[in-house]
Amino acid sequence: MSTTDVAAKKPNPVMVWLFSPMNRFVARRLLIATAVLLASTFLFFILAANAGDPLEDLRASNQRNREELIAARTAELNLDQPVVLRYFYWLFAALQGDLGNDYRTGQPVGEMIQQASGQTFKLIGFSSIAAIVLGVSIGIISALRQYTGFDYGVTVVNFLMYSLPSFWVAVLLKQWGAIGFNDFLADPTIPIVALILIGLVVGVVIGAAVGGKWRSRLIAGGIAGGVTIAVLETMVLTDWFTDPSLGPIVIAILGAGFAAIVTFLTAGFANKRALYATMTMAALGVVLYFVFDLAGIWLYTGGVAVFGQLVAFIVAGYVVGLLFGGPDKKVSALGAALTGGLVYGLLWLDNLMSYWLPYNQTSAINGRPIATVGSSTPELAGNTNYWVGVLDTYTHLILPIVAIILISLAGYTRYMRGSMLEVMNLDFIRTARAKGMPERTVVMRHGFRNALLPLATIIPLDLASLVGGAVITETVFGWNGMGRLFIEALREVNINVMMGYYLVIGIFLIVGNLVADLLYAVLDPRIRVEG
Amino acid sequence: MKLGNLGKGIAVAAAGALALSACTAQSEIVENTTISVAWNQPLYSFNSSTSSGNATANAVILYLTQQSFNYYNSDLELVDNEAFGTMELVSEEPQTVKYTVADDVTWSDGVAVDAVDLLLNWAALSGYYNEVTFADVDFDEETGAVTPQSDVIYFDSVVAGTAISDTEVPDVSDDMKEMDLTYTVQTIDWQLNMTGAGVPAHVVGQRALGIEDPEEAKTAVYDAIMNEDHDALVKIANVWNLDFDIVEMPAEEDLNLLVGNGAYEVTEFVQDEYITLVAREDYSAGPAPSVETITVRWIPDALAAVQALQNGEVDLIQPQATADILEALNAIDGVTVETNDEAVYEHIDLNMANGGPFDPATYGGDAETAKAVRQAFITGIDQQEIIDKLIAPLNPEAAPLQSQQFLASDSNYAAAVESNGSDQYGQGDLEGAKAILDAAGVEYPIDVNVLYALGNTRREQEFVIYQEQLAGVFNLIDGGNESWGSLLGTPEYDAWFFGWQSTSTSPLGNEGIFRSDGGSNFTGYANDTVDALYDELGSEFDVEAQVELQKQIDAELWADAYGITVFQFPGVTAHDSEMTGVDTSALSPTIFWNYWEWGIPAAE
Repeated sequence: MSTTDVAAKKPNPVMVWLFSPMNRFVARRLLIATAVLLASTFLFFILAANAGDPLEDLRASNQRNREELIAARTAELNLDQPVVLRYFYWLFAALQGDLGNDYRTGQPVGEMIQQASGQTFKLIGFSSIAAIVLGVSIGIISALRQYTGFDYGVTVVNFLMYSLPSFWVAVLLKQWGAIGFNDFLADPTIPIVALILIGLVVGVVIGAAVGGKWRSRLIAGGIAGGVTIAVLETMVLTDWFTDPSLGPIVIAILGAGFAAIVTFLTAGFANKRALYATMTMAALGVVLYFVFDLAGIWLYTGGVAVFGQLVAFIVAGYVVGLLFGGPDKKVSALGAALTGGLVYGLLWLDNLMSYWLPYNQTSAINGRPIATVGSSTPELAGNTNYWVGVLDTYTHLILPIVAIILISLAGYTRYMRGSMLEVMNLDFIRTARAKGMPERTVVMRHGFRNALLPLATIIPLDLASLVGGAVITETVFGWNGMGRLFIEALREVNINVMMGYYLVIGIFLIVGNLVADLLYAVLDPRIRVEG
Repeated sequence: MKLGNLGKGIAVAAAGALALSACTAQSEIVENTTISVAWNQPLYSFNSSTSSGNATANAVILYLTQQSFNYYNSDLELVDNEAFGTMELVSEEPQTVKYTVADDVTWSDGVAVDAVDLLLNWAALSGYYNEVTFADVDFDEETGAVTPQSDVIYFDSVVAGTAISDTEVPDVSDDMKEMDLTYTVQTIDWQLNMTGAGVPAHVVGQRALGIEDPEEAKTAVYDAIMNEDHDALVKIANVWNLDFDIVEMPAEEDLNLLVGNGAYEVTEFVQDEYITLVAREDYSAGPAPSVETITVRWIPDALAAVQALQNGEVDLIQPQATADILEALNAIDGVTVETNDEAVYEHIDLNMANGGPFDPATYGGDAETAKAVRQAFITGIDQQEIIDKLIAPLNPEAAPLQSQQFLASDSNYAAAVESNGSDQYGQGDLEGAKAILDAAGVEYPIDVNVLYALGNTRREQEFVIYQEQLAGVFNLIDGGNESWGSLLGTPEYDAWFFGWQSTSTSPLGNEGIFRSDGGSNFTGYANDTVDALYDELGSEFDVEAQVELQKQIDAELWADAYGITVFQFPGVTAHDSEMTGVDTSALSPTIFWNYWEWGIPAAE
């Protein structure tokens, strides 16, 4: 037998990869999905075509050549032809990448979707991430403090938020968060009663979250409430709301706080090297505060420079962590890198704040910084200052972001709580505890990671469906995203736009679904993908 | 409302003063003044004369960037703007109109506005050189969109087929300041058929023919039209049809698409967000504005507009009126709220050609009996109840609309109502209705199948109220349908109600509805007297006489119990109390009509 024969019998590695169970699975799923998409576009087209009368505005018009205009639009939209035939016209064009035009404006649907999805991503991207991070954190704490006041409190608030109508939340947010807050800024004083109330609320929440004996909870809550009142009153007295800043002392305190928390979550206080590493980064932050100020580095900053500086801080933290050495220096490095990023955030925020007063005093803002509509202030359009640009973006983004977080937070919190509880009651957690592992390691390394698994299947689907836009939030805040695009199209029975929207959303959902399945298979060794 | 009347007074005075001082007009721009206006739909074309570009969203912005020979004031009177130029009726037979562009009128890029611009506007609007009609145009077969025509001339004009199409090639004077347009068919709407210069001819020439120098480009356009240069006209038409459809600030090389001849020029244009307009220093073509910058922000949601006004982000809004919106507005300090009538009017039509209760054929061809049934119907309707329940909460000053010819804000409305015989109808006189039916020997209750827009809350409520009003005499059957528009005039329905949208005050505006052979005549109404009056109106150039003829038509319609008008849609306007000069017109461009009277304190 010659060697060539052996080679011939060996299966071709490319073919093996091509027909691997994973690929067969993906191919099959895609095939089915395409068929589903095709069938559903047909169904949707029929529904969309019957959603109303695209000639309605012309029928009620008394323009002299009304008949000609009706004839023209009928010809343009092929309204004189059967719906099924129109679907195939649309399908063949779509297969060639042509989604048609908006009959009203003549704009290509592809371009409209591109523009609208850009707005939607800008609006929803940040708020989704924030909602996930917050929801996961609250869910974990809630699960660890199961059946405590905090847990019940979170549950009640969750269901409350879950059931809130989003248009109502958005309108109230604008009324209080924008109009009310702007009014407050005109004369930033907090009445004593309000101050005490805020302190009480903070105290109760913190006291409940801390857990443990009544005495320690009372102390924790009391301190938190008291500190809150003191800080707020100091802010009022120092005119902080008019001209905010952090300053070196606050940066030092917050930096040390971040360092402590990060160390606690990643390595535990027992790991002295890790603690020193993160604390070094916090100290570095204070030093650099003065250096940046003296060197005037911020003056020349733009978006790219800021990103570069952030990366530099993270890398520096990693290096510092490695330098402290020790058996698990990678853990220290991770913690220090994280702290570095957070400390840089503080420095950035401090400098951003220094632009608040001048921004607020421009005639375009006129002392009312928080906006209720749109994504930028028209009169500031000529502005090229990075910091003013950031401020203007976030004064416009803050309310829609808060609205979306409030509404979608509840879901993540509940999922995470349920998942965490399930995992924490499993045998391997008991085993880990029995081995004498510190509770931090049990929770963070064994509990948390496994509890995230179910979430991994929800998030890709959630993100995909978010592309569809938040119709109501977008409408109320005057953002022309995907949801708005669809609603407008529906109103005008603009079938090309509706179909374009549906196609894009459909594709995203299919891909999101597939990603969720694959992700689950990758993350959870118990699940195997089969072709 | 007081403020509104005052504003109107100033407007009339200003218009009068303008005629006297047209040549002394000078810049009165106050530095650092900015007004931000909320509008619900973004601009998408700088040419509002194409069939797709013809929309209010475009028209309101173009009203600020393009000037014209005349404009509507809030009394719906056509005011001549002699600072831009004049339009004169030189002769009635054959009908010739002389357009003269005033001296010193320039485009925002410094090029003079002259007769070539008018000539191109005529060529495009009339479709004189069009080699195909819409039905034969090259469409993208699959999407149905109009594609650039490769070898035929086609101007996609929104007014193709109207009076402007019955014209000959105009004469242009040697100094390029005057243009004589001769109609082959008389038109009394000569002041409305072509009111401005349209898009700049030199820009079209530059873009279509690849000529850089604006004057040369303009000459080339002139030559192309006058010599009927086929290849050049194909290109010119394509640019005219498609190039001006833009939704954001164009690239550097396309900035000439923004060139206008109006009081303001575009400086910023962000897709779906806002457009910023800055007053031109070198502007003399109309009333001089005082506000330096006008920003129009696109806010589709009515409540969002209200909150933006409260938060100081916009100064002037005209949101879609609902009771909630009005309540929210009234609760805000420092905001002035005014309610008004819009140009859409609700009316009930009776089908006279379906073999139903209002058709003479039902009574063996007895027209009088059918008329009596119609009279009974509109006698039993109570307009005031509809107003009280549905409209007054939004517009406390709303009153029943009593004319088929004039809107309530029209200065001829009052006189028309006095003479049209409408006063006996719409009072909810059910006994009277019974008496009419008894006298005619018709048994009741009579079944009436009523079509209206299902899904439209106000119309659904309307139907229920009508049903109760007429109970016992007419038995209204709920024929509400979501696709009501395509069902108008089908024999199944005996009556329907919806809103007609007025777009101009042309005396012939409703001709298509009431003429026996009219394109929008769904009721089968045929009255030789009305047809004859419309014929007469079509060649009557005297405005007074036009109004008289319209009054006669109105009286005929009421005498025939054609149907009944009910109310005008309510509108609401609100503005920052620091802003002055706000007034609104029922017709487009509504709140923008008197932008030159706007004022606001300058920012420090």
